Amino acid sequence: MQAKDYKSELKPIWCPGCGDYGVVQAIYRAFANIGRAPHEIAFVSGIGCSSRIPGYTTTYGFNTVHGRALPIAQGIKLSRPDLLVLAAGGDGDGFSIGGGHVPHAIRRNPDITYIVMDNHIYGLTKGQLSPTSPRGLATASSVYGSLEDPVNPLLYVLAYGARFVAQGTPADMPGLASIIEEAIRFPGFAFVNVQSPCVTYGQPEAQLKQHKAEMRALTSCGHDSSNRLAAMELAQDYGKVLYTGVFYRDPDPGPTFEQAVAERHVAQRASADQRTRVLDLFAVA
Amino acid sequence: MRELTIGMAGAGGDGVVSAGESLITAAALEGYHAILTKSFGPQIRGGESSFRLRISTAPVYTPAGMLDVAIALNWDDFLRFGAELPVGGQTILIYDAQHAAGPGVSQLAGMTPGEIVGAPIAALAREIAGHDGAKNTVVLGLLAEWFGFIPDPLLAGLRKRFAKKSQEVLERNERAFDAGRRYAEQHPIASARRLAPARLPGESARPTLLADGNEMCAAAAIAAGCTFFGGYPITPSTEIMHFLGREMWKHGGVVLQAEDEIAGAGAAVGASFAGKKAMTATSGPGMSLKTEMLGLASIAELPLVCVNVQRGGPSTGMPTKSEQSDLFQAVFSAHGDVVRPVLAPTGVADMFATTVEAFNIAEQYQTPVILLSDGEIGLRKEVVDRIDPAAFTIADRRRPSPRELESYARYAFTESGISPISEPGMAGGNYLAAGIEHNEHGAPSSGGANHARMNEKRIRKLDPLTRWRGAATVVGDPDAPIGLIAWGSVAGIARDALQRADALGVHAKLLVPILLYPVAQPAYDDFFASIRAGLIVEQSSQGQLYRLLRMFVTIPSGVTSFARSGANPFTPAEIAERLAGLAQQLQRSRVPELQVAVD
Repeated sequence: MQAKDYKSELKPIWCPGCGDYGVVQAIYRAFANIGRAPHEIAFVSGIGCSSRIPGYTTTYGFNTVHGRALPIAQGIKLSRPDLLVLAAGGDGDGFSIGGGHVPHAIRRNPDITYIVMDNHIYGLTKGQLSPTSPRGLATASSVYGSLEDPVNPLLYVLAYGARFVAQGTPADMPGLASIIEEAIRFPGFAFVNVQSPCVTYGQPEAQLKQHKAEMRALTSCGHDSSNRLAAMELAQDYGKVLYTGVFYRDPDPGPTFEQAVAERHVAQRASADQRTRVLDLFAVA
Repeated sequence: MRELTIGMAGAGGDGVVSAGESLITAAALEGYHAILTKSFGPQIRGGESSFRLRISTAPVYTPAGMLDVAIALNWDDFLRFGAELPVGGQTILIYDAQHAAGPGVSQLAGMTPGEIVGAPIAALAREIAGHDGAKNTVVLGLLAEWFGFIPDPLLAGLRKRFAKKSQEVLERNERAFDAGRRYAEQHPIASARRLAPARLPGESARPTLLADGNEMCAAAAIAAGCTFFGGYPITPSTEIMHFLGREMWKHGGVVLQAEDEIAGAGAAVGASFAGKKAMTATSGPGMSLKTEMLGLASIAELPLVCVNVQRGGPSTGMPTKSEQSDLFQAVFSAHGDVVRPVLAPTGVADMFATTVEAFNIAEQYQTPVILLSDGEIGLRKEVVDRIDPAAFTIADRRRPSPRELESYARYAFTESGISPISEPGMAGGNYLAAGIEHNEHGAPSSGGANHARMNEKRIRKLDPLTRWRGAATVVGDPDAPIGLIAWGSVAGIARDALQRADALGVHAKLLVPILLYPVAQPAYDDFFASIRAGLIVEQSSQGQLYRLLRMFVTIPSGVTSFARSGANPFTPAEIAERLAGLAQQLQRSRVPELQVAVD
């Protein structure tokens, strides 16, 4: 399979220069390297500019509703563990309206890769505060500046117990592609935060050009990615330092949710009855 | 006598509900028809609890109506249930003699009971067991003796129930049962009635099932091929998840207790997208949260069964009390131009068929279906005749053929409005499912012409449902001038009322809608053709069904709404009286030409 086999005919609605173009390119490349046929992939997203992304691939896509990509992706993975399941969305999807779903997906540990395209702004609705907007940011909905601290997605998911946590930027598309590939290959829930700048409503000082100049590969910092606490230490610099690469990768990833389900099926099927005999449970004897 | 209705109330921990369970199990073993409802206060532990049991030699459709026998373990708890445990002039009221009779009887809402019997229930329990714990078993002994209530199956049931406990507990309960019987033997009551046997000597009891509505719904889901359930605990629907959590795995399915109501529905939508039959279940406020997912399932054209076991609302309302006040919500709580089928079972007996039908409609029409149960049905136990799941047609979604996959368009415009649905894993079936409006191929589209056409497709595909023969059942004389309409758990009360009205010489018929939406207009038109007066009876303050029907059906002017809030049950007698009143009015206003037709 080649990257182009995953590219659909739909033309993205994204603004010229949007970081998400690089993200979808990286995903094509990761898919091609893994080599699963498009029809064996389910790509689920929420709502927002970034959530248009499944439509730009040739996989089975599901552009759902705001914040709900993860519950839907879990329903797919639990009932069809044979599929490669990818979920994606923006920072509002993952850490505002859908924020309640993230810890639960992580603790269940289904083999799903979750890509958040973090642009620190609500772009589709034309420039309001997002959960990762920096304090003081003036937007359409915060004319005099934000009065709130941003969330730190990396620290959140590390604290929730995520077994794979990485960050990338489309400023380094090949690097992002290999991070996404590693995340997909990781046997369990994998979280990838992509710093994907909004060219229209984002901060002019945080665009791809600056990313290119400022990004720091975690491998070059001597970081031990099997150490969760070390990862959390570095993750505290979210918003200040643009680290790329794998923050944390559980050396002992444990069983996935669907593996546990499969074991349950083996254990319970011993007493299995046919569906048509289910009413025997109510029989008066 | 051919039937007996018993009500009992006490404090939580008195074992009132387990006494009811023992009685209905014994009734089932013996071949009686029976319905058991339980009602509770809102407390987690303690607080009041009650049951009412109707046991009969003929089929029964409701446990409602005056009690033949009322048992008050204490007055405060008994009186809290008010009209849920109605005492009339024929009722034998048994109370625990440790509490004085006067203060309790003086507060009864209805008439003075026919006979008031004080029995030393707690005293006997203490004497036998050393504490109050066996009060419920003493009561079973009293009932067995005074009313001929089948002592052998009762004892067998007790043995079964205490099988897992110690020998000591079992023996204690057997002694308590005997003590109750002996006391009753030595203290006969004046108006003692004997329940007629359910079967002839030597005849074996007919094969029956004993289940509550929630369990039956869950079992039907399994029989219908459901392999995914996503839900969140909420009263009074949680037992659906409990049952599936035990049984679903055995059939290769998955049960996900989600982090919230939305995620429960969302995971089910995901499973459906992945090609599986999926269900979610909830009550009241949980339904509000799920409506976002229902909108998604409607536009993405994904099958989904969403059960709402209604309770008193709005908001937290009265979670432990039944109501029929979520009909508007089921029908109208959609964003956008959406038609969602809404089905309502009327009891445990038809819960199986209705749930299977909900899955069939969901699959066949690629739509979310709301199964609108209620707390009464969900929690009540019924003895029902054996159901053979193999006799039911199980529908599956229309998947594309290999040939159709060669040039596949997921949302292709078809004559029926139903487009073949692919699922991940099918090569060539790849498409984008979306909450966003889309064209035939699933690509996002904001064109007005396409939107109009897609809306029309999604609405039109459900049109055949309005002509579905199973949309409603009609009972009684088809030419009757007086009509009743009732749905859900009230339908059984209406059916009883119809029999009573018939005994009063009132010619009436009853329509019970199973499909509440889309409104099956032809069925109502047929029904109303002979109708000159009638009632639409429902457990909601506004009369939601009456108002809904007025949108779609021409209701004869003599048909009015008879509606009231939950936890204020209708009795068959009061409905029958109203029907008799309508009959008298018709008689008076009768014009000569019509006389011939009516007679």
